[in-house]
Amino acid sequence: MKHIIKIMALLVALSAFWISLLQTSVLPESYTWLLPLYFIVSLGSYGLLMVGVGLMRFPTCPQEAILLQEDIVEAKGFLNGKGVDVGSD
Amino acid sequence: MEVADRAIGLLLSVISLSIFTYYTFWVIILPFVDSEHFVHKYFLPQEYAILIPVYAGVVLICFLSVFIGYVMLKSKKKKA
Repeated sequence: MKHIIKIMALLVALSAFWISLLQTSVLPESYTWLLPLYFIVSLGSYGLLMVGVGLMRFPTCPQEAILLQEDIVEAKGFLNGKGVDVGSD
Repeated sequence: MEVADRAIGLLLSVISLSIFTYYTFWVIILPFVDSEHFVHKYFLPQEYAILIPVYAGVVLICFLSVFIGYVMLKSKKKKA
């Protein structure tokens, strides 16, 4: 519940800031109207950039993959010896 | 496999950076340029700078609601 109140307070503060920018005319009016939309678009593109960068730097550990395959073969052999049905491929 | 991942990641980053620079140019820099400069040819009229993100947002929300509704219907049919 408190989290929602914090988010709502942040939203209210941002809109108050935007409306005050509109009223005092620090920037030209056309800019102030487009400013929230611009921030939303830039936030979306920032998220996409983070996803792309994370995909590029994802570690794959090829040695661990080989060890894991060996473990799987060993476990299948053990279970088959004990009579458990593990065949699926 | 990781080469495909890196290629997709690179493509996503390039797309996001190009969208950001194009939109920044469109909204912030273009109003300061004289209306006879040649660079105005490469950018659509300024109304589209508002219409396209709003339209994309509406399409995204519609797609999300359709997806959620579809998942809810499928789960309810499986229980009954």
